[in-house]
Amino acid sequence: MSLLGRIRQRWRATVRRHSYSFFSSLGALMSHRVGTLMTVLVLGIAMLLPLGLHLTLLNLDRLELGEERWGALSVFMAPDTTQAQVDALAEELGSLDTVIEVTAVSPEQGLTEFRAHSGLGALELLEINPLPWVLSVVPAPGEGLEGRVEALSEALRGRAVVERVEYDRKWLERLERFLDLGRAAVTVLTLLFGVAVVVVVANTIRLDVAARADEIEVLALVGAWPAFIRQPFLYSGLWYGLLGGVTAMVLVNLGLEYLDGPLGRLLASYGEDTALAGLGLGETLALLGVGGVLGLAGAWIAVQRHLRELQPGGTLGRR
Amino acid sequence: MIRFDRVSMRYESGTTALNELSFEIGRGEMAFLTGHSGAGKSTLLRLLLLLERATRGQVVLDGRNLSQTPDRHAPAVRQGVGMIFQDHKLLADKTVFDNVALPLMIAGERYADIRKKVRAALKMVGLEDRERSWPLALSGGEQQRVGVARAVVGMPPVLLADEPTGNLDPELSWELFGLFRTLNQRGVTVLIASHDLELVRRMRQRVLVLSKGRLVDDLVPGAPAR
Repeated sequence: MSLLGRIRQRWRATVRRHSYSFFSSLGALMSHRVGTLMTVLVLGIAMLLPLGLHLTLLNLDRLELGEERWGALSVFMAPDTTQAQVDALAEELGSLDTVIEVTAVSPEQGLTEFRAHSGLGALELLEINPLPWVLSVVPAPGEGLEGRVEALSEALRGRAVVERVEYDRKWLERLERFLDLGRAAVTVLTLLFGVAVVVVVANTIRLDVAARADEIEVLALVGAWPAFIRQPFLYSGLWYGLLGGVTAMVLVNLGLEYLDGPLGRLLASYGEDTALAGLGLGETLALLGVGGVLGLAGAWIAVQRHLRELQPGGTLGRR
Repeated sequence: MIRFDRVSMRYESGTTALNELSFEIGRGEMAFLTGHSGAGKSTLLRLLLLLERATRGQVVLDGRNLSQTPDRHAPAVRQGVGMIFQDHKLLADKTVFDNVALPLMIAGERYADIRKKVRAALKMVGLEDRERSWPLALSGGEQQRVGVARAVVGMPPVLLADEPTGNLDPELSWELFGLFRTLNQRGVTVLIASHDLELVRRMRQRVLVLSKGRLVDDLVPGAPAR
């Protein structure tokens, strides 16, 4: 037989062996439906936790927190300031290189927006409008922003017509630090729960190996290669990992569906009207890929220990 | 085909199972290995299946020096040997067909070929109508014949049997030995470990007698005893 013929024959034999292992592993999973379901659920929940936190951070990132309006200075004018004084200050600020936009919000506009967002009817009872003029000043982004904003705030606080200056950036920076913490937590949780997935799969496969010890012994005695003995268990591990990933995906989508209403309303109050982000195609494939690899790793660890006993001088054929 | 050259085997427990054992079995020969319990019969077969390694000496099987064969080649050695066990070692959750087909599945053969070869092997042992049966539904003799079919289905050049009649009555034992003779007549080298001296004598084949790990007699039919 030619070299090509031998390669083709060997390739076909490999495919047939994999086919045997594939169906054998499926049969093993199906023969213990309840046990399989419980293992898959545990794996799904283990994968869900880091996945859920990742999606939470992803959605917070999507709030465009870095946008200019979140970094704007709110300059609250003194109660007796006139519109002419407000316009003059707005014009002065608008001419600065360090400022890219100045918007004046009148007390009437402010009241209308406040009513719309708060829904408080009690404001109708007030005889006077308690809100002051407000200038929303958007500083130019770039290096030294914090120092420039600080200097501008100080300068504005010194003006008689200015009562208070607030800068949203500090809140934003704190939130950004929380997000950094969250990202680190996702990494740690992913590692920890990754280990948990490997351990759960390894333990499940170890029990499966113990239950099929007779079959493994007979296979080894009639000349099965370690790879052939390992294959059905690796497929089982792969199935567990993949099914765990699918379970996590279903659970996360159910969670998103449930949270979409209340979270959507919360985001709308911040002027965000986008729907919650779920898993994209890339993330879905990554989740299934990682689940599969972790399942394989767990199965490999469980089987490898048993296979060592099948080496010459081991316990093979003594049972 | 099988050569033992000054082979000693000592287990970690300190027990000496084989002691300076030397003999040779030619291709196509049939021989019995006999001796009391603990004489070293099973250890000898385990060495041929590369389940153990000799502490000293050389074990050669079909031209391959097993003493120098790496562990990773042990499956290839076992694929070249048909082994029959006293306790049959059948898988209870697989049908007779699937049990017999195992060596061929391991070899990655086509299903059509597997079917043809398994049926031929089952026909040879007289169980062609039991391929869908479960091993536990068979008698002890039938189970052992399934074990024989599994051992020969891949047409190995060597057949080893470790006390194959241990659980069978004399009539079934005689039948099984007849089956081994048939296989031997087809060119298979056969080595059978048995403590049933009466049965071994009736077969009129070469007999290697072991005692405490030593070869104490090598009886060839028609030749004067040593």
